[in-house]
Amino acid sequence: MSETVKLVCIMCPMGCPLQLEHEGSELREVTGHDCNRGAKYARQEFTDPRRGLSTTVAIAGARWSRLPVKASRPVRKEQVREAARRIHALRVQAPVRCGQVLLKDLLGEAGLDVVATRSMDRAAKETPASS
Amino acid sequence: MLGRLERSYDVVVVGGGPAGMGAALGARDSGTGRVLILDREPDPGGILLQCVHSGFGLHYFKEELTGPEYAERFFTKTIDRDIDVVPDCYVSGIAVDSDGSKRVRVMSAAAGLRAVQARSVVLAMGCRERTRGAIRIPGTRPAGVLTAGLAQKLVNMKGCLPGKRIVILGSGDIGLIMARRLTLEGCEVLGVFEVMPYSNGLTRNVVQCLEDFGIPLHLSTTVAYIHGRDRVEKVTVAPVGPDFRPDMSRARDIPCDTLLLSIGLIPENELSQSLGIKLDEITGGPEVSSTLETSMPGVYACGNVLHVHDLVDFVTNEALLAGRFAGERAQGIRRPADNIRIDAGDNVRYCVPHTLSPEREHTIYMRCKRAMKPCRLRVGNLLEKKLRFVVPAEMIMLKIQPDLLEKFQGDSLRIDIVPESEGESGV
Ligand code: SF4
Repeated sequence: MSETVKLVCIMCPMGCPLQLEHEGSELREVTGHDCNRGAKYARQEFTDPRRGLSTTVAIAGARWSRLPVKASRPVRKEQVREAARRIHALRVQAPVRCGQVLLKDLLGEAGLDVVATRSMDRAAKETPASS
Repeated sequence: MLGRLERSYDVVVVGGGPAGMGAALGARDSGTGRVLILDREPDPGGILLQCVHSGFGLHYFKEELTGPEYAERFFTKTIDRDIDVVPDCYVSGIAVDSDGSKRVRVMSAAAGLRAVQARSVVLAMGCRERTRGAIRIPGTRPAGVLTAGLAQKLVNMKGCLPGKRIVILGSGDIGLIMARRLTLEGCEVLGVFEVMPYSNGLTRNVVQCLEDFGIPLHLSTTVAYIHGRDRVEKVTVAPVGPDFRPDMSRARDIPCDTLLLSIGLIPENELSQSLGIKLDEITGGPEVSSTLETSMPGVYACGNVLHVHDLVDFVTNEALLAGRFAGERAQGIRRPADNIRIDAGDNVRYCVPHTLSPEREHTIYMRCKRAMKPCRLRVGNLLEKKLRFVVPAEMIMLKIQPDLLEKFQGDSLRIDIVPESEGESGV
């Protein structure tokens, strides 16, 4: 017996309503897309949905207290929260260069790294609050 | 170089965000010698530094970058091109000398109050967020009511969370992105409320920032009252009718400690106004010629101070152009004056620039008033282009070639967006 899943295509602002007909894990038909990108998106979402993940980690010794970071490639959708939790546990020390790998093989996935998305120098010596 | 402040420059750029950095680079590309960027923050990069999510650079760099990465690439270019960048400073005024050159008054943490001579000035101050006062939400005035962009800076740069239980009013992209950010940071986002019957943000953000995390989006609903003495305790939300008034008979209370507002952006033009520069009522930014020069000769504008963009890539392209013309002027190169005025016609909210010259290629940026699909973009009787769709949230970019304008006789060119079925007879 075939079932239908509804999605909104996000590949462009047109936002076509997509319908995915499937039997179990087998995708039968995609309808509602206005172009091929929509069909491709539907297939990807059905078989292996992934999301880009960017967040921040604590940094010591820099002007700011948070350093922006990202996962080097999209994370499986159901693992986004867990990945974010693991990344938050990181503590780094300035200086850091943009692109520097801070953690390798996130969630045990080979090649999925956490990289800094900004360079941060060591902050100049802190001036006493009274000055 | 960071921090040096000389007495005189060819081009001074006010603002060190993507527009300011682009303008400075454009000025250097034109062959101009000495270029200065003044910025009020400790690091140049502007709002990009707090936009840690990705989605920047697809047009300009052909890859998807986060905000800080996009900013850093441009900052590196400014260093490579010997552009002076002075952070931690504020431009308090600009005076015009009898020979047309400008004196920029700078207040700087390091150098005190200084005047800097400039042949051309580029305004690149960006925009700011609309606040509670702009929509007059009734209620008390407790702590915990803040704009989404401010919350973004607190969370992403300073490591402070604005609260624990959060309601968001307005479905602009910053609000949607903050809904996801705060959820990943462990806050509870109780819902996003939008007074319009459609979301103001990109579908992509509605899906990936709300639906992925099970955060409800309530359309045609607004926050009708804020409660709490010292801190927000709850908000009253109510559906709105066609007149946008809340229907209090169907109101309900949501206990929360924070209300984030994502209700629109306004170009930041206090400095432009103090110079007497003519502003466009609709964009909120200066009126500009095709060289992006404002009504004050030698003063140019680009980026969000000119009109609010949705893609930084377009800001960069606009800024490179403004910088180039500012740099040319500083070298004494004068372009012929524009002689064609652009009129925003049917379903066109605004167009930038405001005038054109047949002398060179132009890029016109515009926004529609309402969604339409499919449709035609009609430029006087010169050009018709089929568009699959237009939506107010997405800026439309149109390139016009000089040969097209050479044939044009009139002095004003009207741009319309009409339904597909109309306008067959046009060309
Ligand atoms: S199917 Fe094509 S046209 Fe429709 S939203 Fe997706 S990308 Fe856009």
